[in-house]
Amino acid sequence: MIIACQVITEELLPLLQPGVTCQTLDFGLHTNPAALRKALQEAIDSAASEIDTIILGYGLCSRAVEGLSSPSCTLVIPKMDDCIGIFLGSHAAYRQQVYGEPGTYYLTKGWIEAAGNEFCEYDTLVKRYGQARAERVLGLMLKHYTRLCYINTGQYNVDEYLNYSREAANRFGLRFEEIKGDNTILKKAVSGLWDDDFVLISPGETVGYNDFLRAE
Amino acid sequence: MNEELVAKISDLQEEDALRLAGNIIKQGGDPNDVLAAARKAMEEVGQRFAVGDYFIPDLIYSGTILKGIVSIIKPHLKQEEAPKKKGAVIIGTVAGDVHDIGKDIVVFMLDCNGFEVFDLGIDVPKQVFIDKIIETNAKVVGLSGFLTLAFEAMKETVDAIKEAGLRDEIKIMIGGGQIDEKIMNYTGADAYGNDALDAVNLARDWLMQ
Repeated sequence: MIIACQVITEELLPLLQPGVTCQTLDFGLHTNPAALRKALQEAIDSAASEIDTIILGYGLCSRAVEGLSSPSCTLVIPKMDDCIGIFLGSHAAYRQQVYGEPGTYYLTKGWIEAAGNEFCEYDTLVKRYGQARAERVLGLMLKHYTRLCYINTGQYNVDEYLNYSREAANRFGLRFEEIKGDNTILKKAVSGLWDDDFVLISPGETVGYNDFLRAE
Repeated sequence: MNEELVAKISDLQEEDALRLAGNIIKQGGDPNDVLAAARKAMEEVGQRFAVGDYFIPDLIYSGTILKGIVSIIKPHLKQEEAPKKKGAVIIGTVAGDVHDIGKDIVVFMLDCNGFEVFDLGIDVPKQVFIDKIIETNAKVVGLSGFLTLAFEAMKETVDAIKEAGLRDEIKIMIGGGQIDEKIMNYTGADAYGNDALDAVNLARDWLMQ
């Protein structure tokens, strides 16, 4: 069984074998790690009794997965800080992007569809502050950002999403770049190849921060 | 304490807050009182964020109002005799991270509590922290970071300070994002703070013993 964030589900669906159950949780839960943890634990607890392994389509995600446990299932979680690392295919690739240009805003189809990004929150901000002030606040939120990257995972037609991203970049004065994603982590997750890129938590054990640390 | 000013700032009424602060100064009011009201308002904003009434854009907006207030009162503060600084603190957002809302509030709070603050900005390489420690002889370093990925950079910065032979002379505090004792232990810092007041208290404890 898979429990995944809706942003990850978008990328997982094309890879799923028939018969695998995938429960999707709202991306909005990310704004509150405690609420996300609670929703995840509830989803784990309500898994059918014949399930013995649950794959979480999440990374460490602001430490929301810490504290999760199941009395009867093994939990499998990609050993990544968040889904950017998952979409880029490795922790090393993520680090390379982050250290190369830290002021980067990342988008995929899932983020755009889930409206979980500053560009989509524009209307909410306008409602709250009025247009002039909303643009100012959004400008401040993005003041250290120089680049908007669309991660193309190659799994679907991206034209519409590339256009959206390009327009968002233009509108807020960011350099647009399309970068190639890598589905290695997701492919390994769904095919049971749970190597060092995954955290495996036995039944009765609890997910801890140290599980996400990498050997130096 | 000018409660009206506290309310205008914490309610994010920018124009009213700036007009009121300007009027207080024009009428010969004490800039330190304006600063005290701003400080109290920022605590209130932090409180509203903690309980979920305010969101990240509100924090950013409050920071903008704060900057406006500071720019109104700063010229008048300079005319007075500068109070003796309580000690120096170096602060910056670690390499790979560009988040600075929290850091900027910490810088403001340290500054208006009498500390000399060297703000290194965002995405600060570990060597820049080391160079600043040597240059200023500051005894407290604050490492800020919002991403969980930044915890690695914090650890690398602490390790680099240790390798440079400076670790025993300084105290290191970390803050931002989901930071607690586990992250403090992982990074090798001496302490962590949940908010700007924690940072002020830590600096005070370390520098004013």
